[in-house]
Order: sequence, then structure tokens, then C-alpha cells
Amino acid sequence: MADHTVQESNDPEKQGKPEFLLPVEDEGELRKLLVPDPENLPATPSSAVETNFVSYFAPDFTKPGHDQYVYRHANGLCVVGLAPGHLAFKDEGGITAVDFNVGKSDRSGMKVTGKRKKNAQHFESNTAICKVNTKADSYIVRCCVKGSLLEVNDRLIKQPGLLNSSADREGYVAIMMPRPADWLKVKASLMSGEEYAKLREVRVLN
Amino acid sequence: MSGETEAVSLSGTPTTAELAAVSNEEETRILSDAIRSLPPQAVKDLLNSEVCIACILRLFGFREHFHFRSSISSSMLHSVLGESEHLEHYGILAGSKSGEELEVQQIVCRMCLGILQYLYRNDKGILVQKLSADGLAASIDEMIKQDGHEIDGFSLELSVPPVLLEHDNAVWSYMKKRYGQEVGIAEETSKCVSVKDALKLAITYPIENMLDVKSSSIPSSFRIRLTYSQTKPSSSMAKSPGETNGSCKRRKTGMLTLLVSCSFCFCFFAADVNGVPVRSSNFSGDQKSSEPCNFPLEKVNEPYYLALVCCRTPIYIGGRYLKFSRNVSQTRWIIDDERKGESSVEEIIGSSILPACQGDSYKFHAAGREDIDVRMLGSGRPFMVEVQNARRVPSEAIIKETETKINSLEEKLVAVKNLKLEVNNGWGLMHEGESEKQKQYCSLVWISRTLEDEDVQTITASKDMKVLQRTPIRVLHRRSPLEREKIIHWMKVERVAGSSQYFLLHLCTQAGTYIKEFVHGDFGRTNPSIGSILGCRAEILQLDVTDVKMDGF
Repeated sequence: MADHTVQESNDPEKQGKPEFLLPVEDEGELRKLLVPDPENLPATPSSAVETNFVSYFAPDFTKPGHDQYVYRHANGLCVVGLAPGHLAFKDEGGITAVDFNVGKSDRSGMKVTGKRKKNAQHFESNTAICKVNTKADSYIVRCCVKGSLLEVNDRLIKQPGLLNSSADREGYVAIMMPRPADWLKVKASLMSGEEYAKLREVRVLN
Repeated sequence: MSGETEAVSLSGTPTTAELAAVSNEEETRILSDAIRSLPPQAVKDLLNSEVCIACILRLFGFREHFHFRSSISSSMLHSVLGESEHLEHYGILAGSKSGEELEVQQIVCRMCLGILQYLYRNDKGILVQKLSADGLAASIDEMIKQDGHEIDGFSLELSVPPVLLEHDNAVWSYMKKRYGQEVGIAEETSKCVSVKDALKLAITYPIENMLDVKSSSIPSSFRIRLTYSQTKPSSSMAKSPGETNGSCKRRKTGMLTLLVSCSFCFCFFAADVNGVPVRSSNFSGDQKSSEPCNFPLEKVNEPYYLALVCCRTPIYIGGRYLKFSRNVSQTRWIIDDERKGESSVEEIIGSSILPACQGDSYKFHAAGREDIDVRMLGSGRPFMVEVQNARRVPSEAIIKETETKINSLEEKLVAVKNLKLEVNNGWGLMHEGESEKQKQYCSLVWISRTLEDEDVQTITASKDMKVLQRTPIRVLHRRSPLEREKIIHWMKVERVAGSSQYFLLHLCTQAGTYIKEFVHGDFGRTNPSIGSILGCRAEILQLDVTDVKMDGF
């Protein structure tokens, strides 16, 4: 078994103990700890998003068909994006362009710095973050949650297709930081993944 | 009386043997000779101005005499100054050795404010008079024993208000002007021994003797601190039992206020005892017109407060720890009065080390950290426990015992290796370990399709791959939003028997790399990621740290 045990002493009580008592230096010991038992592995494990975030949905946000999601982390941060039932996905060709220049300012230009998130702008839930364009139309994507805008997914500028392929992950739109009180207010108006799935008859697998 | 001082039989710092060899009679003789060597008028002048014998001696540079346990008695003074003198005229006398006659102890020396008279106010404001340095040493001894300290050495730290230096200067310049020619102190530089030096000379040996240890030239971790101050020291000398504080902080009581308030020094010209006005001429040609002639000093009604603190500076016990549980955080983690996880590495290790050192409290430091659900295996992570005010410095045997104790705990959550007393506090190492040293991990990864051989090739082939990580969302609430470039030095894939989509990913990365995010991509904010490299979705199920590449721990 283990090459070295800490109990060099002749303590009779300890001699019977089977498991290693000491630090794992032995390769063999280490491997035993690392290799999983295939029997216990789920076919499809829950994703990082499922594990660490709670999903909320806002169907018809400010306008019919403008479905958005809000994934809230335990630390209060919210990732917002387009929910599967959004009209933009129904247009032929899907989403072709994303523009963060919404009227007053270009959201992709903002720089938030420091632990205190200085110069993050405070927005209302219906403030526009960006515009997504399809061949046919263009749609405004909004904050959904009142709070500070920490980050926008500027990758969407060069790769708008991310919205088509994985709107719920790489195609996220922005990260918001609401105050606890503001979150509680908006939470009331959001629905769970289950409810949304039923409503739109889609799957909301994260 | 000639102005020459008589040669003394002691030179330099006498050894304890030499001190012991000098009998009481010898001491008395040497002291008397010293006094005799000074112009009697000067001595009377000083005595009359309520300056104690100790200060008189140090003013004229008699260093070695402070080692003596005896002192000048009134009868001695009689013989020195002449029988006809009425000693009652002389305001002040030093106390004598225990048991002998003690006169006039209420008058506080105006120069040392009672310090060299072993006269002080304690922390409760009560006046304390020790007969000699031995008395003070006894108090210190009592304090140490009461607190349960085991010591094999000590460092003496003395702190006196800076105004005493001004006193010395004032008296010295008066002496120089008035008696300069007689005493042969025409030279400008004062030979005056400072109060601090005199006190140190006087009490070091008595303390060594009482405690039966030596004061070392290399600073010992055990500090005996005497702080004299004008104002009452704040009462928070008491140690706090909590784990968050309890360190021995320096007290700067009343120092700064004394520096500014020069109320002691006001200028007026003194007449000497015989009514002759003080000569204002300067001997040395040194025209310091701004130099005030502040003699005699202002009357002192109360001696200084003395704050006695005996404590040990922090000691450090270091080693490497392993964490076998996925439900134990590194440090105490409590949110909304609820503890996260079952326990913490900090508490498991600290709660065993603290009693071994009999300290007040501890602080836990480690070279980096891992999440609560990540195990720390392999060689272990270097750490250090800083113990405040340890009552004893644990021996090697005790430390070994502590290591065994931790490793034998019923619940095998944490283990330690190489536990030892750190002499240099290893700060640099901890920080270096966190920010510079490479780490090795093993993670269980799942991908959304079958793992092909090419995938294994692709992953294994990459060396020193650069990865751009935006601050992970899970820590974004408390860290700056930044994009950090990190390096994945190498990767190895190990297939899991019986599964086509799971595999073990071994990797070695630069310090500060977020492994979980490297696997699942964190909404594409870490690039590249395992998912992006393989062109599919990747999830991480568990993570273990297998090596923290650091020497010396």
C-alpha cells in the first residue's frame, strides 16, 4: 500500500487503520484519487451555467417577440442575452450584424475599471444595449435589469453569428450588476426557464 | 579638588563575573570617588535643583556606574560634600539598596522624571517606587511568569519621551557655562549618557539575573518593552482572544504631544546658590545665541507613567498542506452568519498549532489558494501560520507532534507536511508562490461529442499556449474587469476507461490561471478554451491541484 506512513510509532490503535494518513506523494496513491469511476459519471452533466446561474426569462420585453434571458450568478451579476423564442431567430438567414451604437453612445466603447467598477453606467431595464440586424429587420436588445452595465460582448461585432449558434453562451449580449433592491423588483416580472419553455414550446437547455 | 576624574577599575561593559566580583564596598567606593571627582558646588547645585544622583553621574559621562546595584547613601554624601552640609537642603537623593535607609523619595528628579529613581506611575495611575533595578526586574519577572511565557532570551526595548534629551542639553549647557573650566568640559560635545542608555545599563543585568536568561545581541523574539510617557497609556494592553487580531502593536503614547509641547523649557537665567549671577560668556567660542539657558528645570510633581509590556513578536510555523475534501474552504468563509463548507484549512491547521505555541491568536498565509470544491493533492501547497504572542517557541519535537496530530484527525480533510519553525518569515516566498510559481492540475472534463484521437493529439501537442482570460464572471463582482494573458505550459489527455466523452486533462499553467474557465470558456470570455480548441461544448466536473512548483518549503 502506501510507501510511507506517518505512524512510525508503535501505537497499536493506529496500526489497524487502512487508509493513508499522509500526504500523497506516491504516484500510485495520487492516481487512485484522480481517476473517476465511470459508473458514477452522468451521460450529460449539467453545464457550468446550469450549476452556477439561475435562469430567468422575459418574453415580449417592451415589444412582442423580443424575448430575452437573464442568467443570474450567486454573486448577483446578471448575464443578459436573446432567448430562443426571439423573433430575430425566425428571420431568414438569422442575425447578420450587431451594432452597439445606440443613439446616445456606443456601448462597446465604455471602459469599466477597478474593483468598485467605476465609470460603469447606470441604466434602466429598458435602456438599449445594442441593435441586432437580420436581412429583414432590426431589433433592439435591452438591459432587462436595472443596474450598472459592466461589460458588453464586443465579440458580436465581428462574429454576429455567435447569436445564431449559441445565443445562450458565447452569444451573450452583456453583463449587468443590479443593486440587490433593484434585482428584487425586476425578479418579480421574470419567469423561470420551465415556464418559458412551456410558453414558447422550446427547449431551454443551457 | 582636582578636576580630574579618578580612574575606575572597570572598562567597557563588565561581564557578570566581573560585576559579581565587585563587592558592595568596592561599588560604594567607586561611586563616592566619582562624586568626589566633580566640583562639589556643581553637585550641590544639581542636587538643589532636584536632580538625582543617577542623573548627576550620567551627566558627566559615568557609564559603568549604572551597572552597580548599590547607590549613594546619605551618609556617603555627607562624606563627599562635607559634614557641615545639611542634607535636607538637598532636594533629592537616590534610593539605596533594598533594606537600607531611604530618604526623600517623593521628590521626582527633574531631569529623568523618576525613571532612574525607579519611580513611576503604573497603568492604573498608582505611584510605584522600586528600591532598585532589582525591584523593577522583579515586577517584570512576575509579569512574565503570570503570563506563562517560556523564554530563553529577551530583547529590551526602552522608550522615553524625547523631551528628556532637551533636559540633558539644557543642564549640560548650564554646567558648561558655569563650571566648564573646573570640570574640564570645555569641549562642546556632551559626554552625557542618555536616560535610555543609563536605564538599559542599569536594568539589563538585574533582569537577566531575575529571569535566569541572557539578553542577546541578536534580537530575541521575546520583547520586554518599557514605555515611559507623560500621558496615561491606553488600557488596551489586554490581549484580545479573537483570531483576527491580538498582535503586539507598538504604543506611541504621549510621544508626539511631548515633542510639540515645550512647556518644560522656558527661558530664564538662573542665579547660582551663592547669589552670583551666571556668567553669560561663552568658553568655547560657540555662539549659539538661540540656545536657551533653561536651568533649573521646571519642578516635577508626578513621575512618568510606565507601561510594561512583555510579549513575543510573531513566530511562524510553515509547511505544505493537502486538502482531500471538496467541502472545505481554505480560509474561514462565513456569509450571513452561515459557514460555507464543512470547515477550513486555516482552522484545522491553526487550531492545532496555536495550542502548541500557546499563543494568543494566529493568521494563516498560503502561496495561492484553491476553490472550496478543488482538492489540493500531490506535493501540497506551501503555507505559514503566524502565531501572535506565543508563550513558548515550540521545539522540533512538539512541532513533529503537532504534524502528527493534524494528520491523525478523525476526518481526513486536511494533511500537513514538512511542518517546521520558519526563521526568516518567508513572506517573499508566499507571495512569490502565489504570483510566480507554476501549478499543475488534473481536471475531469466532458465534451459534447466523442473524443477522437486527433483531439488528443491537438491538445497534447500544444506547448506554452497563450490564453486570454477576461475576469471570470464568478469573481467579477470583486475583482477588476481585466483581460489577463496566461500561459498553459503543457497538457496531457488521459482517457477514462468506459467513456467516450469524458477524459482527464492534466495541465501545467502559469500562476493565476483560471482552470475552470479555461475548460468551459466562461461564455467565450476565455480564449482559447478546451471547448473552442475542440470545436464543441466542454464542461469541467472536478478539479484537483496536483503540484505547486515551489522549492524551499
